[in-house]
Order: sequence, then structure tokens, then C-alpha cells
Amino acid sequence: MNKKSRTRLLIATGVIVVVFVIGVVFLVQRQGAYYRQVSDLTTGKYDGKNVKVGGRVLGGSIDRDASGVHFTIEDLTGKSDTVKVTYAGQMPNTFDAGVDVVVVGKYASTDGVITADQLQTKCPSKYKGQASPSAQLGQ
Amino acid sequence: MLELGTYSLWAALFFALAGAGFLGLGMLWDRKDLLRNGYYAVYGFFLTTVVAAAVLLQAFLKGDFGFSYVVENSDASLSTFYRIAGFWAGQQGSFLLWLLLLAIVAVVIALLDLIRLERLTGGAVMVLGIISAVFAALMVFDAGSNPFVRAAAGAQPFGLNPLLLHPAMVLHPPALFIGYVGLAVPFAYAVSTLLLGRGDKLWVQRAQKWGVAGWLFLSLGIGLGAWWAYVVLSFGGYWGWDPVENTSLVPWLTATALLHAFTLYKARGLFKHWALGLAAATFFFTILATWTTRTGLISSVHAFEKNSLLIDILTTFLAVTAALSIGLSAWRWGRFKSHDELQSVLSREFLYYVTNLLLTLFAVAVAFGTVVVPLTMNRTVGPSTYNSIAQPLGVVTLALIAICPLLAWRKTDGAQLSRRLILPLVTMGLSAVLWLSLGFQSDLLGFIGLLVCGFAFGAVIQFVLHAARKAAGPAKSLWLGLGRAFTGSRTRTGAYFVHLGMVLIVAGLLGSNVYKVEKSTIVKVKPGATAGLNGYTLTYRTMDESTGAQGSVRSVAHFDVAKDGAPIGTLAPHTDVYPVSGAAVRAVILGRAFEDLFVVADEPFDSSSKTIALRTVIFPLIRWVWIGSILLCAGAVVSLWPRGRRKEQEARVPEANAAVGDAARADGATA
Repeated sequence: MNKKSRTRLLIATGVIVVVFVIGVVFLVQRQGAYYRQVSDLTTGKYDGKNVKVGGRVLGGSIDRDASGVHFTIEDLTGKSDTVKVTYAGQMPNTFDAGVDVVVVGKYASTDGVITADQLQTKCPSKYKGQASPSAQLGQ
Repeated sequence: MLELGTYSLWAALFFALAGAGFLGLGMLWDRKDLLRNGYYAVYGFFLTTVVAAAVLLQAFLKGDFGFSYVVENSDASLSTFYRIAGFWAGQQGSFLLWLLLLAIVAVVIALLDLIRLERLTGGAVMVLGIISAVFAALMVFDAGSNPFVRAAAGAQPFGLNPLLLHPAMVLHPPALFIGYVGLAVPFAYAVSTLLLGRGDKLWVQRAQKWGVAGWLFLSLGIGLGAWWAYVVLSFGGYWGWDPVENTSLVPWLTATALLHAFTLYKARGLFKHWALGLAAATFFFTILATWTTRTGLISSVHAFEKNSLLIDILTTFLAVTAALSIGLSAWRWGRFKSHDELQSVLSREFLYYVTNLLLTLFAVAVAFGTVVVPLTMNRTVGPSTYNSIAQPLGVVTLALIAICPLLAWRKTDGAQLSRRLILPLVTMGLSAVLWLSLGFQSDLLGFIGLLVCGFAFGAVIQFVLHAARKAAGPAKSLWLGLGRAFTGSRTRTGAYFVHLGMVLIVAGLLGSNVYKVEKSTIVKVKPGATAGLNGYTLTYRTMDESTGAQGSVRSVAHFDVAKDGAPIGTLAPHTDVYPVSGAAVRAVILGRAFEDLFVVADEPFDSSSKTIALRTVIFPLIRWVWIGSILLCAGAVVSLWPRGRRKEQEARVPEANAAVGDAARADGATA
């Protein structure tokens, strides 16, 4: 390989790879959501952070207005903690009180609300967890 | 019948292993008789797999609910079309389909090579045999993956998941699997050529068409999946960056790079390690896709049940594939040195290289976010992160794709390049007028991306014109040249269409992502109630009910649609309520030339509802994604289209002359 071109090729490769890796790591660090339980949120460590939380939708807590759907989920590990969720996207078909959901969004400890940008329902269906009818790509 | 199915799988496993054994020894000792015996074993593998598949297919067609798998994925009310679709609606059947496709590919390669009996192809079929044995073993040893399991007495058929009752969803899984299996062939040849230490281009010639075919079907599968998500899943989009989608995108990206690496390998003998590495990476990622969705280790809405034996087998398979690829490449590294050199950075090969590098990095980043981050960092990456990686990268890659064909091999003459840039710059200017008239200046980065699309459009035309001028010969007739440019090289003609398709797809993705507008309105169920967005007005008229598939009840709300006061049509979003599986809302779409009006209810509704939570979304340019996808697939078909041997040779001669001319000119410029 031509020496000058080879050097340029290596430099270009190096620059592209480094810029790319830094970019990806930065994005994951900043936007990656932590998997947590509802009870973990009360520790205050996750204020303003992106979290992914599973919980059961409390009966009678679902309220819809023009800004989206508001509801409360309770801890799945048996603790009594709850957290409020606001979600403005398309609701999965099987969303209802008593259903287990996974929400991803930013948690604010001041008002104790997760503003979710993703919501998935976990369906305890007889479809054995294969692409279940609730399988909405919650976005 | 269950027994026949299981025995056939055992026999398929035996024949696949026997074939691999004979072929391995035949390749090692260069013994044609052993290779021939190996191919005979492959026929046995093919026949037994066909029997197994036929057993399952007849069970679905006859509605034999003695099969546990049929109970789970079918019922008596389904039409023949959807009964067949039940075959691959679950994990067990999709493994069998995969095995069947592997058997078809292996037997075709074996038949084509029965006269030649070359070591390279024997080795490749051996690799396919081993891959097939792994899949057969999965079904034989893991009850959760075996489609031939007896149903419990009195089991009630589940029916097909209503969301899957759509033609796109019937064709999407087989298309993906054909893609995966097609892309296993370049890997098989890469392993074979590495074992033999052959650094020439025979393996590329043998594997290239399979690679293109695999890429075509993978593109088709991804496109169908996106379209299905758009019209059926009704979540207000077509791509959710869900693990199952990501893991099919990753091999598509590396396969795209692989096809370019093949061209570079054949045309210039450069970056040979890349071709080997990409062939291996693509295969690895297709298995990773299965691993991700089938082992349940990554939580995806699509994930199948967790299953430890399956996890062990697939994880081992992945580890062995990676270790073998790396080990073999390291062992034979020196045999695959480039036999030419990179002369200039301003050359086609350099841009090929950078494009491949970016595609590979993109693939690795998506795989990292989908698999590594959730498993090792206890975190998860969402759509916004993927979008912020994909959008700039997509635009930069498109820019490179646009410029690449305008450059010459080896070294580009600056003055010549400036002349070639005129047309793309003109179309970029013209496109700016279009984008401004559509109001796309609201987002600067999106606008820049769309300008690149305008540039790339002109570049494709320039690419065609350039080929035409070169092909016109001494007569200098542009029409004759154009004719020749399209009939000359199938690969190049295909590339025009694929690149044009990519331009439309990127423009459509940018338009529908960056400029998407959505709004949720709660509409009273009262004639005359309205909802509106960006000049569109939806006026509620009536609601009616009807019965649909699987005993479902469909409630349909009728709306009149007007744009800036002028009526443009009607839309009827609906809810289907299924007796066994609950309610599903379905979106409706009013397509217009430059945007789609997408309407769906946020919640199921029926005639007793007082209000409907109506979500209206405007997707600019989304149609271009579908049109572009069709062009892209058409391009791949063109490049695969077989032609007579004589014509092939005729076409090669002027091309070779042109290449020599090109090189001579480049050399002249250097001097």
C-alpha cells in the first residue's frame, strides 16, 4: 500500500472510530435508563435520571386528559411503594387497572412522577409470552 | 404423525452430520469420492427435512390439534392462508422453517457442484451442514423447540394472534429467515477458503449471489415488518428500536457492507480481511438475532419464553462461531494481503472503505445498545438514543454513497470531479425549493439531511450518465450509451436502483421522524364533534358494528376529513374485540403525496363509549420509505437476474476495456 495513503487511511480510521465510540458512550451514559424497582425510587438517587421501572397499575388510578394518561403503579417486589406515571404516547391495547407495565422515562422526585416516553404492558396471557396481543412497541 | 416428524428430525440431524463429516474429510484430503458421498448425505438431509416440514404443514392444513404447536398457533376458523402462516408463528415452527431453508440452500449448492466437486464448495456445504445440525439438535433435544410435541388431551386451540392476521406478517418471518440463510452462505465460503488458505477471489464469486439474495430478502423482511408495525401495531410509527427490530437491522448493516467489500475484493483485491470479517460478522449477528429473541435474556415485547437448554446451545454456538472466525482469520491472515495498493484518498476504494467502516460501527453500536448495555450495565437504551446515532450517521453514509460512484478507481482527477459534481449540486438546489415549500426549514439538521438527499439524487443520475457516456463508445450516441449503461453490468444497473431507493428511504425516514406532528384529542361521540391538526379537520359522523375474523366484534367510528376546509375523504378508525384475546385498536391512514394522515384511537372504544381518545399523526414523506424499499429490492433482483453465458462474456469485454482506459487515464494524470 502506498505509504502516504496508508497513513491517511489509518488516521481517518482512528478519528472516525474514536469520535464514534466517544459519541456512543456519551449518549448511553446520558440517556441510558436504569432498571429499577418502584421501591428504589424513594431513595432519591434517581431524581432527574432516566429509569425503567416495572409495576402494577393501581385500580381506580387511571385518569386521561388532553396531556395524556396519568396513573399510579405499585412495587412488584411486595413493598408498598407507589409512583405516579404520566404518559402521552399511544396506549397498548391491553393497558388497564391491575395489569403489569414497564415504563421508561425521567423520574422527578419533587412530585414523584415518572414522565414516561415508553410504556409496555406485560401480558399474563395464554400466548405464553410470544408476541402477545399486547405486544405494542410502546413508543 | 408426530412420531414421523420427530424421526425425520433425528434423521435430518444424522444426515447433516454425516454430510459434514464426509465433506470435511473430502476437503481435507482432496478426495472427490468423499465429497460426492458428502453431497449424497446432503440430499438425505434435504429429503428428511422436507418430510418433517410436510408433516407439520399437513397438521396445520388439516387442523390436527393433536400437535401442541398447532393448538398454540391455529384454530379451525382460520383460512388456508393463515393456517399456513401458523407454521412460523411460534418458536418451534420458525426453527423448522430455518432448517428447511438451510436444507434447500445446501442441496442447491450441492447439486450445482456435483460435477465440479471443488474443495472450496465442499467445505462451504460442510459448514452449512454443521449449522443445520445445530438447528436440528435444538429441535430434537429441547422440548420447547420441538414442533412435534403431543398436545394435552382436550386442549383448546388458541388461534393465531390477531395482530398477526395481516399479509405482511405472514410474509415477514419467512423473508427474514431466507435472508438469514442466504447470508450464511458467504460465511460458509469464508470459513472454507480460510481452511484451505485460498486468498484468491473464487470464494467471493461463489458466495456473492447468495449474499445479494440474502440481503434482498433481509431488506424485504425488515421493510414488511416496518409496514406491518405502521398499519397494524398502530403505535404511531413503523420502527420502535425494539430489540427484535434492532437485531434484524444489525446483520442488514453488515451485509450491506459485505456486498461492497465483495466488489472491492473482486475489482481491486483490496481490504480482503474486511470481506472475511464482514461475512463472519453478518452470520454471527443473524444468530445473535435468534439468541436475543428466543432466549428471553433481553426483555423485548416480542421475546419468547426463557429456556435454559436453548440458551446453552445458542450461546455455545455464538461463542464457537466467534472463536472460529477469529482464530481462522488470525491463522491465515498473511494469505489475504491486498495484492494492490491504495493510491489516493480521493479514490472510489477509499470511500468504499469509509462507508464500510461507518456501516460496521453503526451495526456494532446498535448491537451494543441492544445486547451489551442491558446485560452488563443494568441499563437500557431507548429510541431517542438510537435516533441520535442513526440520523447523523445515515446522512453521512448517504453522502458517501452519493459521492463514491463519482470518483474513479485508484485516483480521481480534481477537474473531472468538479465537472461531475455540477449535476448533484443543481439537484440539491432544486430539492431545497421543494423542502422549503413543505416547511421543512423548522429543523436545521433535518434540513441539511434532506439537502444531502437532494445531492445524492443528482449523484445517482450522474452515475448513470457517466456510465452511459463511457458505454456510448466512438459513436457518442447518448441513447445508445444509456441503453448499454442499463444492460451492461447487472450489478451496476442494480446499484442505480438500490442507491436511488436508499435516497428515497433516507429522505422518507428524515421527513417522517424529524417532521412528525402528533396530537391526542378527546372527541365526543356526537355527530359534528371535531378534532384537528395542522389544517386537517376530522368530523365525527357515526359508529357501526360488524363481526370479523375469529368471532371478533369490530366497532367502526366514521369521520369526515377536510384539509383547510375542503373535504378530502373519510377515515374510519376501529376497535376489534376478540373473545379470547381482548381488544385491539387499529389505525387508519389517509395517504397523500407528501404526507400521511394517521388516525388511531388511544383506547379501545365501542358503541357504549361516550368519548373517543383520538390520536392524529402527520407523517411527512413516509410513502417515500415504501417506494424506496421497493426500488431497493427491485435493484437487488436486477443484479441477481440470470443471463446467458455468452452475453455475460460480451458485456465483460467493453467493461474490462473501460476499466483499463480508466486506469490508463489515472496513470497519465499521475505522470
